[in-house]
Amino acid sequence: MDSLQLLLDGFAGALTPVNLMYALIGVTLGTLVGVLPGIGPAMTVALLLPVTFSVPPTSAFIMFAGIYYGGMYGGSTTSILLNTPGESSSMITALEGNKMARRGRAAQALATAAIGSFVAGTIATALLVVAAPAVVSFAISFGPEDYFALAILAFTAVSSVLSRSVVRGLASLGFGLVIGLIGIDQQTGQARLTLGIAQLLDGVDVVVVAVGLFALGEALYVASRLRHSLPEVVPVGRAWMGRADWRRSWLPWLRGTALGFPFGALPGGGAEIPTFLSYAAEKRLARGVAKEEYGKGAIEGVAGPEAANNASAAGTLVPLLTLGLPTSATAAILLAAFQQYGLQPGPQLFDHNPALVWGMIASLFIGNTMLLVLNLPLAPLWARVLRIPRPYLYAGIVLFAALGVYALNGSVVDLVVLFLLGLLGYAMRRFGLPVAPAVIGMILGPMAEIQLRRALAIGAGDVSVLVRSPIAVVLLLLALAALLTPLVRRAAARPGRKTVDAPDDRSEG
Amino acid sequence: MRKTQWWRPELGLAAVVLALGGFVVVGTLDVSAAASRLGIGPRFFPMLVGGSMIVIGLFYVVDVLRGGRGDPEESEDIDAEAPTDWRSVGLVSGIFLAFTAVLEVLGWVIAASLLFFGLSLALGAEHKVRAAVVGVVLGVVTYLLFVKGLDVTLPGGLLQGVI
Repeated sequence: MDSLQLLLDGFAGALTPVNLMYALIGVTLGTLVGVLPGIGPAMTVALLLPVTFSVPPTSAFIMFAGIYYGGMYGGSTTSILLNTPGESSSMITALEGNKMARRGRAAQALATAAIGSFVAGTIATALLVVAAPAVVSFAISFGPEDYFALAILAFTAVSSVLSRSVVRGLASLGFGLVIGLIGIDQQTGQARLTLGIAQLLDGVDVVVVAVGLFALGEALYVASRLRHSLPEVVPVGRAWMGRADWRRSWLPWLRGTALGFPFGALPGGGAEIPTFLSYAAEKRLARGVAKEEYGKGAIEGVAGPEAANNASAAGTLVPLLTLGLPTSATAAILLAAFQQYGLQPGPQLFDHNPALVWGMIASLFIGNTMLLVLNLPLAPLWARVLRIPRPYLYAGIVLFAALGVYALNGSVVDLVVLFLLGLLGYAMRRFGLPVAPAVIGMILGPMAEIQLRRALAIGAGDVSVLVRSPIAVVLLLLALAALLTPLVRRAAARPGRKTVDAPDDRSEG
Repeated sequence: MRKTQWWRPELGLAAVVLALGGFVVVGTLDVSAAASRLGIGPRFFPMLVGGSMIVIGLFYVVDVLRGGRGDPEESEDIDAEAPTDWRSVGLVSGIFLAFTAVLEVLGWVIAASLLFFGLSLALGAEHKVRAAVVGVVLGVVTYLLFVKGLDVTLPGGLLQGVI
């Protein structure tokens, strides 16, 4: 098999001492920052981007792979040991996980989360190895109209799935699209929306947007309504689990992986829906002890969703690497990291830079293993990180946000833009607008524009060129469905019947 | 706090969406469209985005007026019931903007130490000396790590040559 050979080459590249060191630094930093309350995987990646500036591309992406998986790991530790839901993807883990921790089973909850993440991450990364070349060979025939339709699908899906209110999701997307417009038009060289500020000619960097909306927005939001008592952290020793826990965990891990990977690969899928589905499935399948314990801390309710969470993280990489299509905020920032090195993910990337792509995929396997080794014994250390006094924590987050943003261009203008975006991020949090559509809109908007103009140029201005290919038609119909489904559901739910408000049966992608 | 019945703070954000849509449309009027005869010029997409923002903004305003509301995001350190503490928000904003103003004059080490010190006090740190010590340590360590270790450029400012 061709991709197997390439993967082996990737391992050869990733297993050098230097790259192993970068992978280790990546997973350690990723977990450490991911554990910090208030910081999700997306912000972890954005904050750690400057660390990679002086590193050669292949090593940088190996480090990134570690940061990406490490950030996911860190989030689950937070939600098990602190009861307050943090980033939405590990919210479900907190339901059963924290109850387990409170009953004195924190070590087992962390162990099933860590081992489950390892199992799911390994299987899902293997699926990525199989799926990526298949998608690439399919996508190689995509024309600009198909890419444009794909972007539209990503826009509508991410706006309608991530928010309970479609209009708020779309408003967030709009903010991102407007930010993406700022700067010089790539085809004609004309400045747009720069207000005459020279530093804006190059556009607003995605790191500034992500760090502003996530880090500074969060800090301002926390300042506005800080919980003054420190939340209770459940004390924990080394993470481990017994034979009975293994027996109860392995099937939920596999089921969670099966749910997580495909949802992660869909536009707008993300981790929220599969983790919830896995939770619901395990609840329905629970028998005996598990049934009694569900709602009071059942290990199945941690094992399944955690596996789903990590499998979806690997799934997200399929559209990102093969099509250049980010389906989550974290993926959007990873895409920006590629662009920083002048690389454009997509079918061509696999052709032109096989060493980099396969080195990165290989290091996902390596990082995943390192995380398992790192997380089981280090649980008590992570628990201590959770006790950092909040004033220091958020002051530190802002300091690193400022450092990362200033380091991009050495420009104070970026810091002012960062502050304005922080205010926007604060308002979005305050009024329940999801942040991910904005990040995806700003990174994907300029690409959508280029593809649209390219398609219309080929069609000599004839708009029907956009629906000439059957792929584009299908994608646009799916986009429409993504937009209309919540409205239809709401209309259908109106007559009296009370419905669950968690997304339980959305499969429109 | 406005007393008018129909006013809700969220209308402010909806108005921002509307205004931004208008800004995009007006702000790109001066971009000349004569760039290409085939296909479309650099104004088409901004018009599309600006127009959509105006439509979304209108729907948003209607939604808020009809009683729709977004749920404030939950987070580890958020007390969702607490009223907004505008004083803290103002302090944090002021300290950050002050940091922006003095960064290139004072240099990273001093400015970042002050930023950390100010923010941690604004967010309720009780131990002033400890906050100051942590701030200075962070300022120095990040400078050494990023400038000497990772070749990132940060302003030296007053301490240029000393560190």
